[in-house]
Amino acid sequence: MNSARRIDPVILLALPAVLYLAVVYGVPLIVLLGRSVMVGGMPSLSPFISFLSDPFSWTVIWNTVRIAVLVTLVCLFIGYPTALALARAGGVAQALILVAIILPLSVGVVVKAFAWQIVLRRDGVVSQFMTGLGLWSEPQRLLFTEAGLVIGAANVFVPFMILPIYSVLKLVDPRLGEAAATLGASPLYRFFKVALPLSLPGIVTGIAFVFSMAASMYVIPNLLIGDRFQTLATLTGRSFLFMRNEQLGSTTAVVLLVLTVAVVVGSAALSKRLGGAS
Amino acid sequence: MADGFLSVAGAAKTFGAATVLDGVDLSMSRGEFISLLGPSGCGKTTLLRIVAGLMRPDQGKVALDGEDITRRPPHKRDVSVVFQSYALFPHLTVAENVAFGLKARGAPAAEIAPAVGRFLALVQMSAYADRSIKALSGGQQQRVAVARALVVGPKLLLLDEPFSALDRKLRETMQIDLKRLLREVGTTAIFVTHDQDEALTMSDRIAVMYKGRIEQLDTPAEIYRQPATPFALEFVGLSTRLPGKVTEAADGFVTVATESGPMRAKGNFLPGSPVLIGVRPERIVLDHSHVNRIEARLVDAAFQGARVQLHFQSPQGGQILVEAPALPAAAGPGTPLEMSWSVEDTLLYPASEAA
Repeated sequence: MNSARRIDPVILLALPAVLYLAVVYGVPLIVLLGRSVMVGGMPSLSPFISFLSDPFSWTVIWNTVRIAVLVTLVCLFIGYPTALALARAGGVAQALILVAIILPLSVGVVVKAFAWQIVLRRDGVVSQFMTGLGLWSEPQRLLFTEAGLVIGAANVFVPFMILPIYSVLKLVDPRLGEAAATLGASPLYRFFKVALPLSLPGIVTGIAFVFSMAASMYVIPNLLIGDRFQTLATLTGRSFLFMRNEQLGSTTAVVLLVLTVAVVVGSAALSKRLGGAS
Repeated sequence: MADGFLSVAGAAKTFGAATVLDGVDLSMSRGEFISLLGPSGCGKTTLLRIVAGLMRPDQGKVALDGEDITRRPPHKRDVSVVFQSYALFPHLTVAENVAFGLKARGAPAAEIAPAVGRFLALVQMSAYADRSIKALSGGQQQRVAVARALVVGPKLLLLDEPFSALDRKLRETMQIDLKRLLREVGTTAIFVTHDQDEALTMSDRIAVMYKGRIEQLDTPAEIYRQPATPFALEFVGLSTRLPGKVTEAADGFVTVATESGPMRAKGNFLPGSPVLIGVRPERIVLDHSHVNRIEARLVDAAFQGARVQLHFQSPQGGQILVEAPALPAAAGPGTPLEMSWSVEDTLLYPASEAA
């Protein structure tokens, strides 16, 4: 065989990024993966077996998935209408919405989480508002509850839902909605049969972004719900930092990795199929 | 036709400081095919969008089939639109696109499939029913868009320059096909175009639009024969236009002094009024047998198959356009030739609104 396969020289442009990631991400990842399946210098699956046979582990996995799903849903329900408004708005309004979405990304996540601590306290704004309206009979604390965690996390991640949906929606020809209307489709029918199917690739991407970030978030649960509530990410952190149990930390890290990679790869495949149909 | 099938009364629309539609009245009868003809920016698409319900007029009323629909949303109007870009749904197949309107109206499934099949056959797209929209050519997409708009049995069909993206040959075929199809289905239709040939070929009547107004609404033949305004004269068909000043006026006739000499025309103007004289190229004969006479030099001759288009220049600089069956025997570049036309064929307009 003569050199039948030639490498496209343009691909070489990716070389710096590939080298960088290989050094700072690939190597540590391989070390981590290796450690998770090595016991006393011998390869073994026993760490996974013992981790998965512990009921506490399943509580942690369930906590992780539940919070990630809830955060993703909240982001989707808040983000989709926002993305729609952003795509429909023109000129100054569009610029203002875009700035309002992107500017908060420049505020560090620690700062945001601390801010939510203040807002969600028993004497915080939310509590005062709800009791003031008479909806709550007495002041309540949302801080260190799951609801508080979901609210705070959704706030941090919602731009990552809005932007991919917006970027798909703005490419949809506005004439399509008008055509549907003149064919007798009500606004609701137009939304479910035209706008929604055409924006599915954006929704899937947004879900992949938000789910993977919400499943692996570490700082936000630490500040908004505390140690009583463990997720795979916080447990991984604890294993390395406090318990000095590198074996457990590697195992939980790999479980988390498998979980998020499955969601991201699955949604990418779904997005490709939906994109191919559109 | 004061109370037409469709009647638009005093429709006006402004965008900021720009008046796009300036009090338009339009009335059409059932089964009629009307073209809105005008240059871009004349308001024809705005008028179409107002009739479709995709835009609210600032003022004015729209009534269809005896009902005031001015404030009715588009999906309750029974007015289908074929868009310039076709606006086919990219996530649906050809058949699903055509079925869309019937499904949206909640038609029973047993009725949808035969109706879709019938209309795909009408536009000769049956073989493509299960294809993706992306796999179609422009002409095929156009046919699907027409089938999709007609299958719901609209009271009124609006077409927004549907042929502008097609090449000339295909466009001419599609024009004939569409007109035949609309006659078969018996649809009332408004056709927006900037192409006068398209409008002249297809329409029962043409509304010539300019600067947000309808300048003239009449049959193609009448618009050509007797343009109501200088703009209609210039925009529809070819013409020779000579500016001048009225010198005499009596008994409904005027004498106009132009650079090329005095001309007689029918009309009532005060002496001294600035006017514009127009004449169609095929109305000019190459001898002095008529009243209005000119002598001019041949500048250019364009052979057009059955006819020859002759461009003349009068000694005073005026451009004269003549269409003759054949090149005159004596003609050569620069040859002065006699020509004339009758008073009946002389069109007369006030010059203040000369286009």
